[in-house]
Amino acid sequence: MAVLSWLEASGVSTWVREGETIWAYPTILTLHTFGMGLLVGASAVVDLRLLGIGRRVPLAPLRSLFTVAWGGFWLNLVTGSLLFAADATRRGTDPLFFTKLVFVAIGVATVVSIQRSMSNAPGNPVPGGGSEKVMAAVSLAAWIAAVTSGRLLAYVS
Amino acid sequence: MDSLTIPHLHLLLNHVPTVGSVAGLGLMLLALIRRNDHLLRASLEVLFVVALATLPVYLTGVAAGTAIEEMDGVAVNAIRTHETAALVAFIWMQLTGLAAWLALWQSRRIPRPPRANVGAVLLLSVLTVALMGRAATIGGEIRHPEILTSPAAAAAGAPAGWLTSGAIADFVTQYPWVWPAAEALHFLGLCLVLGVLLAVNLRILGAMKALPFSALHRFLPWGMLGFSLNLATGMLFFISAATQYTENIAFLWKVIFLALAGAHFLYLTVFTNTWSLKADADAAPLDKLVAVAGISSWVGVIYWGRMLPFIGNAF
Repeated sequence: MAVLSWLEASGVSTWVREGETIWAYPTILTLHTFGMGLLVGASAVVDLRLLGIGRRVPLAPLRSLFTVAWGGFWLNLVTGSLLFAADATRRGTDPLFFTKLVFVAIGVATVVSIQRSMSNAPGNPVPGGGSEKVMAAVSLAAWIAAVTSGRLLAYVS
Repeated sequence: MDSLTIPHLHLLLNHVPTVGSVAGLGLMLLALIRRNDHLLRASLEVLFVVALATLPVYLTGVAAGTAIEEMDGVAVNAIRTHETAALVAFIWMQLTGLAAWLALWQSRRIPRPPRANVGAVLLLSVLTVALMGRAATIGGEIRHPEILTSPAAAAAGAPAGWLTSGAIADFVTQYPWVWPAAEALHFLGLCLVLGVLLAVNLRILGAMKALPFSALHRFLPWGMLGFSLNLATGMLFFISAATQYTENIAFLWKVIFLALAGAHFLYLTVFTNTWSLKADADAAPLDKLVAVAGISSWVGVIYWGRMLPFIGNAF
């Protein structure tokens, strides 16, 4: 596809891919790893609480963790876009890459949904109702699938 | 890493698990005889720290083996036998450390360390002491002909069985899915350990102040699950492709930060000044400093781990 080839040939993409400096590909990939840890890690702690770990821990204060999760999300949106641009013709036609994106989208959607339901019910402790438990389980599963498919990109494609 | 200094480092460090596991077990027996809970906790802490210190001993041992294998007067099969014995002892030491940590974590929430768990640590540490002694004895026979009464180790063939570094490396090379699958688990473990430790340390730094520290202490076993998962998968990588780590400066830094992160984990589990942090209470400046150090040590572990292929030569 012409767009992908153009993107891959752009100056930024070439620098990310071929720049012989630690600040190009290695640092961007490392930042992407940190973003993953922040987004998935912070989100997982909230999910575990909703699933019943530390049942007596009040939910409301845990909302601060969403700040961490969103920080990770924006970091990875930027670094992920750069990594994609550097390898656009390959990733843009790679089913595993799109599988990863779908799981990331599901994961992000669950974070939005859980964050909203926690803000709507500020009284605490919120025991974590049935629908929240389902959402937390979906969230954990989506993040496990997203991290796994993302890591496998390095080996399968 | 300088190939000459690594064997020396291994000779220096190798006494820690041998003497340390005996010291931990001895303290524990003394504590049980005297029915002293403080001493019991101290013995569990010692066993956890010794388990942590055993990691660099194993890693430097593998590097040392590669470095001296070619030298005169070195029994290569004794190195292999020692390595196998050391791997078995290492695994049981880690299980002992994990059980000790769990007992420490539980004894924070209930008045005294639970009996079943203490019993498990006792059994595990007796076994570990025996296995460490065996590994150390065989290790001594690599270069000490004066104590080699029965040259069994030197004369024996290369070790067989499934729990040898050779068999593990073969398993990983034979099935091409093993390495990527372990990598995926390693990254999931990373998310878990970073998420939990970030939450706990952010509370000490003043976020989520409405929670007492004890509320977040509840999540620590999930961080330990991530830690253990990554130790297991990480050892799989190391055993299967040792030289790409032993000759990698990034790996040396990763292990240094890992040791700091492990010590900080123990601090979060047992120290009273953080545990007594009530809802809405502010932590002391020193504890905040330690929280920053704890987060930094995990940042270091992840940074140097991710940089293994770029600063060093790992894939």
